[in-house]
Parts: sequence; structure tokens; C-alpha cells
Amino acid sequence: MARHSPVTGRYVTIDVDGMEYKVFYLQNGKGQPLICQHTAGCHNHQWRGLLEDEEITRDYNVIAYDLPRHGKSDPPHNTEWWKSEYKLTAEHFVNFIVKLCDALELRDPIFMGSSFGGNVALQLALRRPDRFKAVIPVEAADYAPGFFLDWWRHPHANAAQVCASGVWDLMAPQSPDMDRWLTWHYYTQGSEAFKGDLYFYSVDHDLREQLEHIDGRKCPVVMMTGTYDFLTPPEVTENTARRIKGGVYIEMTDIGHFPMSENYPVFRVYLKEALRIIRERKGV
Amino acid sequence: MVADIKSWANKFKSLSDTDQTIGAMGKYYTCTYMWDMEDKKVIVEMHDGKVKNINLDPQPLDAYDFALRAPARVWREFGQPVPKPMFHGIWAASFREGLKLEGNILVLMQNLRNFTVQFELLRKCGVPV
Repeated sequence: MARHSPVTGRYVTIDVDGMEYKVFYLQNGKGQPLICQHTAGCHNHQWRGLLEDEEITRDYNVIAYDLPRHGKSDPPHNTEWWKSEYKLTAEHFVNFIVKLCDALELRDPIFMGSSFGGNVALQLALRRPDRFKAVIPVEAADYAPGFFLDWWRHPHANAAQVCASGVWDLMAPQSPDMDRWLTWHYYTQGSEAFKGDLYFYSVDHDLREQLEHIDGRKCPVVMMTGTYDFLTPPEVTENTARRIKGGVYIEMTDIGHFPMSENYPVFRVYLKEALRIIRERKGV
Repeated sequence: MVADIKSWANKFKSLSDTDQTIGAMGKYYTCTYMWDMEDKKVIVEMHDGKVKNINLDPQPLDAYDFALRAPARVWREFGQPVPKPMFHGIWAASFREGLKLEGNILVLMQNLRNFTVQFELLRKCGVPV
């Protein structure tokens, strides 16, 4: 008897700002769409625990996609992408997510992302609050400087190991070895995209002067950060949430920057609370 | 955890040379680095994944590729079995707790996987300050 997972994978082709992307996504569950963005330089396996969470997928249609250039989503097929340096911008990132949600015909989805996925969740709340029921920015902030580094793809070092071990202590020492090393393993696979992703994360994403334009009463913003995150420590996320009208901040104890991937049993406790708050404010 | 520096060095070498995670990919782990702990300094010389020498009394012209410099209080936190947030690695401490990474950082990056694993051995052997 084959031990199949209930999670299935499909490709969908979309056009975004003139780029043709064949996007791979994993899906499981039914009900309220919950669409999930992995962290920079990684792929959708980071959401493996959530995708197989029987309790959550009973009421939520969980979708975790690979951003183009990550995992099984290729760079654009209609562009000579190898002739220019990849630098992800906030505008393109937002446009991509909206186009993907349109293509999948997701009605009032909840968007959740971690790290650069958390930062783009804030961008969505600012730019397209009409398109999302709520956003859950995980390990996010209004501004996250300092990680757009040449080391991620320096030709004299093993980029796969630099990226994977360079994010190692973004994880908490309490997280299980297996899950930390699986996260490390994922990070060995995304080094060519990592630096370009971090252009968005540390450079183009800067909402320090725009947080007051996000209305968390229309599109709830529930921010969550782990105590071992050194890039966006708890106080940085909390200060961001406080400046958003109706913004909510949840601190996650003894976990780091990749909570869904490094320690899902701990993360799901906080996620369930975030989903409860959204239900309370908006209804499922 | 404060340890006599010679016994600390012996324990660190033993832990490192028998560590399976370093051993799995340590074939080319060759470099020399300084740990500047304010009150004490050591220079660790690695060769093909094994500790070749630990210089416990570095002199001004003793060479190394790169150095980690931080106050003794920071190193004492590194040496806790479960370090507090922001003391749980060299990236965290360099972003948030004033750890300085100096010298030829490229060599650190070239050996980052194994160096990171080795650094965490301080949680088992403590630090000599």
C-alpha cells in the first residue's frame, strides 16, 4: 500500500509584467483559501507541516507556491533572464501574487508569508487590501536592512553552503535537529536566487513612512515573530504592528526566523491564534 | 561556564575531532582563526577537518585568517548550553550584540558550514573566560 500524502502539486502559467511564469504549487484542504509564501532563497517545502495539518486543512484550502526562480518554478520562459542580474522589486512581487491568486480563482484569500514573504504581506496590505481577507506577516518588519550581501553568491566560496549556513542561526537552538537540517538542506538549493530576493527584503522594501496608510481594520494584519530572529527581532516587529491601524502582534517564544519549517508543532499554536483573530474580525 | 584554558582546549579539540557532522564534510576544512574573548585570546589551526593546534598564548605576529572579537560577557553567553536569543550564533551576535568579524572573511565563508558547527561546540565545552 503506497503511503501517499494528501498534498498534491500542479503547475499554472501566468503572465506578470510581461514575464511568463510556469508556477508550481502544492495544495491540500478545503474552505477558506490560505496562500503561503516561502522565505527568500527557499521553496514551498518549508510549509510541509501546515500542508499536512489535518486540523487546519479541514477548514482551510492551503496553497504553498514556489516563487519563480525557486524550487520547481522556473525563471520566465519568454525572457533571456540569464543576461541580467535578478533583483526582486516590491511592485513585481505584489503583482505576481495578485496574478497568481486571480489565476487560481481564490476568493478573499488569507496571505501568509515569512521573512521576505512577511514583508510582502505588508506590501499587499498597503497596496491591495481589497484583494485579501487578511494577511499574516511572519518574521516581518517595515524595514529590514543588512542582508543584501555579495557573500550569497561569491564565486570563491561554496554558495550553497554559505546561504544554508548563513541562515543557520536565524533558527532557535531549541528547534529539532532534523527540522533545522531540513531547512538547511532547502537553503542549499536556492543560492542563485537568494541575493536577488534580498534586494527586495533589505533594499526595495521600506515602509517606514507608509505604515500609517495600512488599515488593519479593513484588511487585518496579524504579525508574528520568533524570539530568536536576529534580522527582525520581536521589538522591531512589535513596533511595526503598533504603527498599523488595528495591527496585531504575536510573539513566538523559543523559535526563530523559519518557524513553519524549523519547528511546526510550536508554530501551529501561534498560527491557530492568528487564524482565530482573523475569524473574529472578518468571519471565515 | 569558566574553564581552565588548557583543559578547555583539550576538551574543545576532542569534541571537534570526534564530531560526526564535521567529519561528514570536513575533508577540506583547513584554516586558522582567532577567538578574541577580551581577557583571553586563542588561535585555532584547522587542517582537513581536524584541530592541528590551539595557540593559547598568541603573540603579536602570530598569523591567522580571520578573527572573532567580542567582550568576555558575550563569549560566556556563547558557552551556555542553550544560549539566549542573539547569542546563539556568530551572525546573530554580529547583528545584535557587537561581535566583530575581522580579517579575511572570505576564508570564513569558504568554511562556514563546518565553522558554524564547530562554534556551537562551545555549548558543550564552555569558554575559558
